[in-house]
Amino acid sequence: MSHESSGRDANPGDAWTVIAYLLSGLLLWGGAGMLLDRWLETSFFVLVGMLLGGVSAIYLVYIRYGRS
Amino acid sequence: MTVLGKAGEEFTPPSSRDFELPEIFGDGTILTKPMLLVLLSTVIIAVFFYAAARRAAIVPGKLQFAGEGVYGFVRDGVARDVIGPDFLKFVPYLVTLFSFIVVNNVFGIIPVIQFPPMSRIAFPAVLAIISWLVFNYIGVRRKGAFRYFKDMMFPPGVPKPVYLLLAPIEFVSTVVVRPLTLALRLFANMFAGHLLLLVFILGGEHLLVSGGLLAAVSIPAFLLGIVLTFFELLVQVLQAYIFTLLTALYIAGALADEH
Repeated sequence: MSHESSGRDANPGDAWTVIAYLLSGLLLWGGAGMLLDRWLETSFFVLVGMLLGGVSAIYLVYIRYGRS
Repeated sequence: MTVLGKAGEEFTPPSSRDFELPEIFGDGTILTKPMLLVLLSTVIIAVFFYAAARRAAIVPGKLQFAGEGVYGFVRDGVARDVIGPDFLKFVPYLVTLFSFIVVNNVFGIIPVIQFPPMSRIAFPAVLAIISWLVFNYIGVRRKGAFRYFKDMMFPPGVPKPVYLLLAPIEFVSTVVVRPLTLALRLFANMFAGHLLLLVFILGGEHLLVSGGLLAAVSIPAFLLGIVLTFFELLVQVLQAYIFTLLTALYIAGALADEH
């Protein structure tokens, strides 16, 4: 589905965009988990957040680049 | 220690202090070497392209060939390949960006000059901010703010609840991480490269003046310094290319239609 409308091929710059996604996912949800930990005085939400963020980011990469 | 030369002065390894250059006139006039080099680079680029375009002939001379080579490389190799049909509007910005970064980077290995201005974070930061403004402005103007952010944050074909996880990642990666990595990548590469050359060349010099056996060891240090200088040339051109390529890619992303 979602046929590539711009019709461009894979590009060496895409690798950097993928890294930006992974980084954002980990930092964003990991950070959210950390804040939750600090608030609730627990210590496992960082891990949950980072896993969630990492998985979401990989899924996002799949959505943006993996489907054709 | 006698064989290894006199262990006189300690060797002070190069550090980030080597990047904090004094004011040239030293009287409160805020003009430093990197600033001067950036000014010089604009003059060089202006003269180069003016001279290359003046008396443009169908059979190009050497200078015209070089000028058209740079322009053609960015226009065809970066802008047209990445952006697609609407690429022509963005060629001037991309060519300017590429030539500006490449000249400033190569300053890092030109004898006597030997300082890459992009190793001071302010210069890449400003370039990244300009690129950030350009691609966001283009996206908002093309699609309107609402649809621009909707296309950015809500890729199609995803179950609705998942957007709760994905949309913030998209937003952060586009609006925050992109300009940050753009600036940091260029800065860090130039910073590290310059530091590396300092280590080998200043280290080699220290070994040489220490005398004795250490003086002989300075030869491989200098040799490696020369090899790394050529390696730096590669990195400098590559980083200019990557910066330009990513800017083009972001512009293409801002223009792309999602369905």
